[in-house]
Amino acid sequence: MDRNVLTKWLKQPQKMGNKYSLWAIYFCTGCGIIEVPPVITSRWDAERFGVIPVATPRQANLFLITGYVSLKTLKAIIRTYEQMPEPKYTVGFGSCPINGGMYWDSYNTIKHLDKYIPIDGWIAGCMPRPEAIFIAVTHLWTLIDKEMANGYKKYRAKYQYYRENQEKALGKLAWPPLFKTDNGNE
Amino acid sequence: MNVVGCILSPVIGFVVGIFFMGLFRIMMARIHWRYGPPLTQPIIDIIKLFHQKSVSHGLIFELGLFLSLAGSVVTLLFIPIGNICPLNLAGGLLVVLYLMLIAPMGIALSGGGGSNPNISIGISRKMLLALSYEVPFLLIILTVMIHYRTISLVNLVELQRASGWGIISLPLAGIAYFLILPAMLGVRPFEIAEAPQEIASGLKVEYSGKFLALYYIEHAFRRFIVIALFVNLFLGGAGEPFTFVLKMLVVFIAGLFINAVFPRFRMEQAIRFNWTWPTLIALAGLIISMIWGGYG
Repeated sequence: MDRNVLTKWLKQPQKMGNKYSLWAIYFCTGCGIIEVPPVITSRWDAERFGVIPVATPRQANLFLITGYVSLKTLKAIIRTYEQMPEPKYTVGFGSCPINGGMYWDSYNTIKHLDKYIPIDGWIAGCMPRPEAIFIAVTHLWTLIDKEMANGYKKYRAKYQYYRENQEKALGKLAWPPLFKTDNGNE
Repeated sequence: MNVVGCILSPVIGFVVGIFFMGLFRIMMARIHWRYGPPLTQPIIDIIKLFHQKSVSHGLIFELGLFLSLAGSVVTLLFIPIGNICPLNLAGGLLVVLYLMLIAPMGIALSGGGGSNPNISIGISRKMLLALSYEVPFLLIILTVMIHYRTISLVNLVELQRASGWGIISLPLAGIAYFLILPAMLGVRPFEIAEAPQEIASGLKVEYSGKFLALYYIEHAFRRFIVIALFVNLFLGGAGEPFTFVLKMLVVFIAGLFINAVFPRFRMEQAIRFNWTWPTLIALAGLIISMIWGGYG
């Protein structure tokens, strides 16, 4: 942890600020809500890493999606993700967002979340232990350091791909495209 | 008018306010049996927020925020920090009384520009809360004015140095001020306007990026002003800024213990509390000081 290295702060304040002040919005879709409260309260205190929960996507820059994603919640996830200010990082928590998990043959859940919004990191397991969130946070620090956590740039660059996938899953979307696409107005 | 003081006073307010914010988070964590963030965490947060992309909701949204920030900075100039008091007026206390209303008004105006239903609930709660603590606050200020026969903050500090601290000669008013301190700061038992679990952090729901950073800086200034006023009115001020900040620290930590262990009031409970205990105590103090007559 290089939180107290002053020269790095003077050289790259933006990168260091993003690393050590991750304000998280938790999207507890089904399971996973049991693992998150011990993480932010006194058992595993996430605040010592600078991770605090916020109530609104406007203030968050870490998006944690826990548990299976049904079609109905996918809509809310996309809207939440698009409301977050850049730079923003997403982490999928549990095996269901990765590949469907135990809902692999369900008619109403999403199998691969990274087709719909870009994901910077995964935490595998069903369910992962709360400590896994901290491992994810430290990995995310490394990714931010090497400028590999660029999901939000990817969303901007390949917005048409994501939008097509979203429309394929959800039908016609009720909101206009966030960025310019080739086959439509802005 | 002292130009150096005009620059120095907000700088002290900013540094001490941010330091208190960091200390607040560490001490809260220790009381909750957590390790807690580093002391520099609010600075890290503010650096991050200034580098984030932010969403504006029109001119009123931005101007209201600047109005509240300016209101807080101007209020700070009238408050003596030790021997630094850039705008030393004969009627300083009355000016502070009026200027302290600008900051919540500016935030309410700015929030109104955001047009989020949670914001309108937050504004109505904040205004009602202000209404509930203004009644005992005015009674307390009146008691102090009657007892010392002055409306100048600098004179008040000098008189207290001659005759002992205000908390000893006016104990009831001091207790009443301490009871409404959390309501004026908007912290835990009275964190009604910004309840994150009920109304998605209410007033600040639409703030992001640099607007949120300005909101936090305004909050730091406000925290400094309210505690500094308590120190000036009841703890005898100080001859130099360092002692002054030390006294503020004592008040702040005493208030923090209340904040750390109490849950949040509901709106009507908060109003009922503010209009009974602090108001009654302040009224009793006012009557006693009127009967006994003032100082000098």
